[in-house]
Amino acid sequence: MAKYANVNELSDSQLDNLLEPPALVQNAETFHDITESVCSIAEADRMPRSWYVLFTLALCFLGVLGAMIFHLFTTGVGVWGNNQPVAWGFPIVNFVFWVGIGHAGTLISAVLYLFRQGWRTGINRFSEAMTIFAVCCAGLFPAIHVGRVWVIYWVFPIPNQMDMWPNFRSPLLWDVFAVGTYFTVSLLFWYMGMVPDLATQRDRAKTKLRQFLYGIFALGWNGSNRHWHRYERAYLLLAALATPLVLSVHSVVSFDFAVAQIPGWHTTIFPPYFVAGAIFSGFAMVLTLSIPARALFGFKHIITMRHIELMCKVIMCTGMLVGYAYAMEFFMAWYSGNRYEGFTFVNRAFGPYAWAYWTMVSCNVISPQIFWFKRARRCIPLIFVISIFVNIGMWFERFVITVTSLNRDFLPSSWNYFSPTIVDILTLAGSFGLFFTLFLLFCRWLPQVAISEVKNVMPSAHPHGNHGEVNHD
Amino acid sequence: MNHTAPTYSADFATAAASRLSRAGFLCGVVGLAVAIGLGLAEGDHMRHFWLSYLIAFAFVLTLGVGGLFFVLIQHITGAKWSVTVRRQAEFAIGTIPFLAFLALPLLVPLFSHEGVEEFGGLLWSWVHPHGDHAALITSKVPFLNVNFFVGRFVGYFLIWSLMARYFKNASIEQDKTGEHELTVRMRTRSALCLIVLALTYSFAAFDLLMSTDPAWFSTIFGVYLFGASFLAIHCFLVLSTLYYQRQGHLKKMVTIEHYHDLGKLMLAFTIFWAYIAFSQYMLYWYGNIPEETAWYLIRITSPWTNWSWIEPIGHFFIPFLGILSRHIKRKPPLLGFWAFYILVVHYIDLYWLVAPNLYPDTVPFNGVEVFALIGVVGLFLWKYGQQAKQHSLLAHRDPLISDCLAFQNY
Repeated sequence: MAKYANVNELSDSQLDNLLEPPALVQNAETFHDITESVCSIAEADRMPRSWYVLFTLALCFLGVLGAMIFHLFTTGVGVWGNNQPVAWGFPIVNFVFWVGIGHAGTLISAVLYLFRQGWRTGINRFSEAMTIFAVCCAGLFPAIHVGRVWVIYWVFPIPNQMDMWPNFRSPLLWDVFAVGTYFTVSLLFWYMGMVPDLATQRDRAKTKLRQFLYGIFALGWNGSNRHWHRYERAYLLLAALATPLVLSVHSVVSFDFAVAQIPGWHTTIFPPYFVAGAIFSGFAMVLTLSIPARALFGFKHIITMRHIELMCKVIMCTGMLVGYAYAMEFFMAWYSGNRYEGFTFVNRAFGPYAWAYWTMVSCNVISPQIFWFKRARRCIPLIFVISIFVNIGMWFERFVITVTSLNRDFLPSSWNYFSPTIVDILTLAGSFGLFFTLFLLFCRWLPQVAISEVKNVMPSAHPHGNHGEVNHD
Repeated sequence: MNHTAPTYSADFATAAASRLSRAGFLCGVVGLAVAIGLGLAEGDHMRHFWLSYLIAFAFVLTLGVGGLFFVLIQHITGAKWSVTVRRQAEFAIGTIPFLAFLALPLLVPLFSHEGVEEFGGLLWSWVHPHGDHAALITSKVPFLNVNFFVGRFVGYFLIWSLMARYFKNASIEQDKTGEHELTVRMRTRSALCLIVLALTYSFAAFDLLMSTDPAWFSTIFGVYLFGASFLAIHCFLVLSTLYYQRQGHLKKMVTIEHYHDLGKLMLAFTIFWAYIAFSQYMLYWYGNIPEETAWYLIRITSPWTNWSWIEPIGHFFIPFLGILSRHIKRKPPLLGFWAFYILVVHYIDLYWLVAPNLYPDTVPFNGVEVFALIGVVGLFLWKYGQQAKQHSLLAHRDPLISDCLAFQNY
């Protein structure tokens, strides 16, 4: 399967040629090569050994998550560090962190599609899968933090004998709708894009069971002209509908903080700032996943160095947008003349959580600056490390926002230093177990690359010659 | 890239540009003269005139700096679709040094001591802190003081002018030499320039517009003006292209596909503007903290109520529905109508950001605003036309031009 695992990376001279960039797909002569390299993974009897190691590890962490949730349900939310004044501790931090990760996939498949970025085809499928799984992890935290989880259905606006209605003026409820809509549309988008590829796997299936299962999900796709026509229309429409969702979800998440009158939360730049941060962390996670995946499953010819370099640039750009927001918040905290706002920001940078603040700034704003150098944008180990830094930095950003604004509130007598409990930490670690378990299962059974879309950006899809870049639409 | 790429010829629109330039100059002189006359007749130390001039100036500034954003973003993304319309944005940025000249009259209301007792100053009341917020405003003096303010604007215009000069000249030089390396160099340099531009323009937005209410603040204000400017430049490009095509230029070089793409970006940034404006409004409304809502309170209570309704309805819902359909975007005259419409509401938006701060109890809008706008836009077009007179309307030797023409929306 890993026929392409050891193909040569693009050379510097190829990558340096900005006007005639190297083709998006390398070393693949025919369409069949693409089908073969993607489908053979799901068809193989065994996965590479590292897959089993990773899967076992992920399962262990998933087990930890299960144990922690059991402990939580049987004991109560007191097992967490949440207390006065930091009533919002790890659960909201983890929720926002995972929702943020879940932004890159739909951005890549919808927004970059509308911007006609052909390079998205190599990475869109598994980024979308990553999105779905990240949103699953995110959804877990609000659900388990309600305390009496057996009455969680109260959050839904259903009539009941107590005349209890959710508070529609609360952004937490808007979140339920925003994340719910996003999850639904992302799932539909992901699934719909996969239908032609599932049909390919159905047609290639050697066993009855596989044929049956892939067949069910392929929805009777037969590759006719009419099917393709409708598929492309639906894709365009879903892309147009999903684009505002990419912005709205994290905007609504930012409202959770920004509508409150808490210094450090209540500021107008929060919605676009959160969206930029989400794209930033999402792309970092795409890099964290795609760098090992392309080597392990042999996708170096589809996810080339050019793709990786472009992703580094996106990281750099969004990292600086986040830096812009940090700077504006700081400036306005002074300019507003509001002493509480001013105190909060000084406290963030120089108070008891200065270590967290400077971890955030170093990881999010300073570390991506190395991508100004093209050598850094082409050095795989370095990129992998920076992508991890960004993941860490973005987790800390949510930690800094949540905890530093709460731990020294308006009432100095209640000031307190927040420390997570071991359950907090293990639950966070466990959520990675859930994420990676789902992701590794996806790698095992589903087409990791959008076969038909990648074929569309190959020169052979454009028999009349291509003009440098090939637009797939 | 095809190695047998066809060659394209330059497109000099000397006559059309001269007509535009002459008409612009005439409008400029007459418009400003009438506005000054009407302003003098009001006997308010020219306060109303200066308000009108400030907004008209801000309007053309959003076109000039919006153009700079446009050009830089095309380069950094390696955009191909825009090659045949980019030159017109390059002419727009060529006016930036002239815009610095247009900013000079604003020194008069800045330094003037007139009207201090009656209204606390002509435009920027922080020059003479007074009233309820005097102590608060005094605390901002390290930033809001006349010398630093003037110094900042000198800095902004110096930086913007240098960037504009470089990107315009490099593109025009490519017309002569056809050197591909220029495109690569512009792309590399656009990265740092964009960062500097984003920061300087945000602070220019705080200085020029936001500080007309020195007590109020909003972290999103810079993004707000960026969104509005980027929307405005696309509308301007549509109108400008329509003008030159009517005059027989750019005939096969700007096609329906380019209009369609411009229209899509107009739609996108209409939505983006609404997103930013809503975020700011909703968060302040919901938080309901007096120092933040004061700004909106004067806008949503009479006599500004009706103007405030123009923002969501006129600046979002109407143009959103207007340009949503692809059929509209693919009919240049219709798209031109919407581009003009959006520029009108863009002016109203800028006016709405500032005027209620100075006139909380009355809507002063009358002929002064109209003639000041005609005057300043006229002068902008005068300079714009002069640029276009000398150079080709088309970056005809840009290495990406074949790709620009080959593309089709389906």
